[in-house]
Amino acid sequence: MALNLRQKQTECITRMLNLNQPVNATGTANEEVYKILIYDKFCQNILSPLISVKDLRKHGVTLYFLIDKDRKPVHDVPAVYFVQANQSNIQRIIADASRSLYDTFHLNFSSAVPRLLLEDIASGTLSSDSIQRIAKVHDQYLEFVTLEDNLFSLAQKSSFVQLNDPSAGDREIEEIVERIVTGLFCVLATLAVVPIIRCPRGGPAEMVASALDQRLRDHLLSKNNLFTEGGSFTSSFQRPVLCIFDRNFELSVAIQHDFRYRALVHDVLGLRLNRLSVQGEKGGMKSFELDSSDPFWVANGLLEFPEVAVEIETQLNKYKKDVDEVNRRTGGTDGAEFDGTDLMGNTKHLMNAVNSLPELTERKQVIDKHTNIATVLLGEIKERSLDSYAKKENEMLVRGTIDRNELLGVLRGKGTKLDKLRFAIMYLISSESINQSEAESVEAALRESEVDTSAFQYVKKLKSLNVSMASANSASRNNIVDWAEKFYAVTAGVKNLLSSDRQLALPRTVEALMEGKPNPEIDNYLIFDPRTPKSGSGSSHLKGPFKEAIVFMIGGGNYVEYGSLQELVQHQQPVKHVIYGTTEILTGVEFIEQLTLLGHKMGFGSSTAAPTP
Amino acid sequence: MSRIRDRTEDLKDAVRQTALSLGYNESKLAAVLASFIIHKPRQRSAFTKAALKTLESIEALEQFMLKHRKDYVDHHRTTEQERDSIEHEVSTFIKACQEQIDILKNSINNEEANSKGWLGVKADATNADTIAHKHGVVLILSERLHSVTTQFDQLRAIRFQDAINKAMPRRKLQRKANSDSVDTSKSSTSELKEPDEFQPDRLRVQQQLLDDETRALQVELTSLLDAVQETETKMVEMSALNHLMSTHVLQQAQQIEVLYDQAVEATMNVELGNKELNQAIQRNSSSRTFLMLFLFVLTFSILFLDWYS
Repeated sequence: MALNLRQKQTECITRMLNLNQPVNATGTANEEVYKILIYDKFCQNILSPLISVKDLRKHGVTLYFLIDKDRKPVHDVPAVYFVQANQSNIQRIIADASRSLYDTFHLNFSSAVPRLLLEDIASGTLSSDSIQRIAKVHDQYLEFVTLEDNLFSLAQKSSFVQLNDPSAGDREIEEIVERIVTGLFCVLATLAVVPIIRCPRGGPAEMVASALDQRLRDHLLSKNNLFTEGGSFTSSFQRPVLCIFDRNFELSVAIQHDFRYRALVHDVLGLRLNRLSVQGEKGGMKSFELDSSDPFWVANGLLEFPEVAVEIETQLNKYKKDVDEVNRRTGGTDGAEFDGTDLMGNTKHLMNAVNSLPELTERKQVIDKHTNIATVLLGEIKERSLDSYAKKENEMLVRGTIDRNELLGVLRGKGTKLDKLRFAIMYLISSESINQSEAESVEAALRESEVDTSAFQYVKKLKSLNVSMASANSASRNNIVDWAEKFYAVTAGVKNLLSSDRQLALPRTVEALMEGKPNPEIDNYLIFDPRTPKSGSGSSHLKGPFKEAIVFMIGGGNYVEYGSLQELVQHQQPVKHVIYGTTEILTGVEFIEQLTLLGHKMGFGSSTAAPTP
Repeated sequence: MSRIRDRTEDLKDAVRQTALSLGYNESKLAAVLASFIIHKPRQRSAFTKAALKTLESIEALEQFMLKHRKDYVDHHRTTEQERDSIEHEVSTFIKACQEQIDILKNSINNEEANSKGWLGVKADATNADTIAHKHGVVLILSERLHSVTTQFDQLRAIRFQDAINKAMPRRKLQRKANSDSVDTSKSSTSELKEPDEFQPDRLRVQQQLLDDETRALQVELTSLLDAVQETETKMVEMSALNHLMSTHVLQQAQQIEVLYDQAVEATMNVELGNKELNQAIQRNSSSRTFLMLFLFVLTFSILFLDWYS
């Protein structure tokens, strides 16, 4: 039973569009066949990768609007609202109801709507005497964006900055943790599983894990809960494991230049919600959709770029051969031979050709799309010499050092400012110890190229604190606001910044967690099981081998991690299944911007000593 | 899924509390809460009623097709005539649904035209959103009809394919039978030849002539039969191809019409443009003559004034 998040979310949305009646109702449900869909910006992002306009029409949705737009009344039509549960949306709904824009209102909120807002709706609609228009209110628990079958994102911006901000207060951190827990709860509710939660000690991961555990326990105690699993002692084989990590666990993945197709398209061209707009070959912007319905994308997403170009060539040649064959069979062959059998065969071929034409045109379209994308990518790579960046960073990570002249040469060579900054930070992360003079020369070179070095200094500070605090241990674990406590999480995980055999630390750890054998790396990870009572015994089965895992990265993730997780899982026997999720999908550039913000907040890395416990 | 997602009960509680706080008396409270359970009968516009009726008829068509599908495809259940009658019924039904959809579309366009005519006196029901909604309804209906017709086309294609296949093996069998019979007749004549040695020559020659004639006739007739059957299969194939082409052409017919209209408009525009250009040229030349005349007159008047004073 592979967990397919995209399919489950689509089912929920289909059910919602059918006004939450059973989907196969025949006959009597015809009264309300035509409806209008209204959503807000966040829910538009949820819907766009899952449903196209044609599918909406199949379910009877004739019009769809943003909730903020000025809308005119359309009588005798029910309206389906799919919005987030916040004050402005509620006010808008009350205004719409008072103006009697539509016949009936079916309200669906993307997460649990708090009691207060329900009372607001009640009072607003009562005072305008339009309460009879509100037919139903549902909580959909769909507050996350699913991009592929097993990739999701919570679309919460700047969570890394907010969590690592030195000036963040207690309340703010708790708010962010609350939001992340709500998003994760929605994911689990849609999948209808109660997983076993494992996370490293300390830091945001532990906070999120304990809060989520509490939330699940409270929910399971209430009657009619959402999780219809039977029995409280189902073997660990059936339940997945939810691994929560913090971005500081492995910083290098978010920063480095990767050369695989999917990661390149995301990083260089800006793939958002499976949509991409590039400069077309004849000028003018073209927009493409890249998701699981594109066979080339699915098959070749994890290949390196040169191999992808080769693949496009082979596909194009195959297509040309097929077209030639069709033409030869049916087109103007030499003379009209009125031989009986030949003519009969000809007409049959003609029929086959006409039937296969749509398929051929589709293939051609896919090939054209990828050729276009590859051409634009190639231009960018040449301009910024991204291939040399990727290769050198790889070498740095594997060897652990780099020749000083080479380093400075790269920093003065081609590439945008952010490329150079990323390279410099990768150098920092990959070297075992910071050679002070080298670091200074690197900084000087960066400043020459007019690069804002605050991110560089922030990472340098991180590393220096890591070295000095390697000894400080379990002292201040209870005080979650302590500034040093945040770095403690970094110390525990920062040794993973160096992955010596070029396998990323995250897939390695996940593999260890899924196998359940004793392993020094993961032995001190915490375990939470929301189903057993707090003082429960029998934790042995909780570490057992798992067939499925949900990996969640707080602070931002990207396609490189997703790709490496998928590769890991496919090579295992028996085939296991991993879902990867994060608070938001970040390109390298966006992550550097967050690091720069943090550097600014720390005052350009000025030497203020962190308060030791 | 489970009941916890449905928050209507919580909303009802909230309504009850708020109503009490606002000071509603009992009857009002009861009326408000009853509205949750009993929904008022909905008044529908004429358009929606017509749309729902059309939807019902399309669904009836689908049911009819599903019912007779097995009869249609299977060889032994129905005769050719019955299949033809089914086809005929289905196509008339499709035409009727298409007409209904066209009526709906025309009614939208009429309303649009009417509302544009009365500047500012627009009725409430004819705003942009309602018109868009009606267009959406018509689009959904036509898509539904389209899917039903494609299903029917597939059935017809199966029927044609079976007809072709039936013709093909018959031909092959016939050919084989022909070649066998020719061989057997040859062998039989060679056998017959030996005992005929002893009969008188005249009879033998006559018999041989007769045999030759009959054989020639046989060959001619079989070849005729072959040709006829070939033409039959070719006709069947041609009709199948014709049908295929016609479906494709019909699909493109609308586009072709739009293109045609646009081309006609374009020619009209070009003509108008030509006229305007001609007028501009004329005006240009006439204004030039006026300007020259004006300057001429002015210079002469200046000279005159100069000479005068």
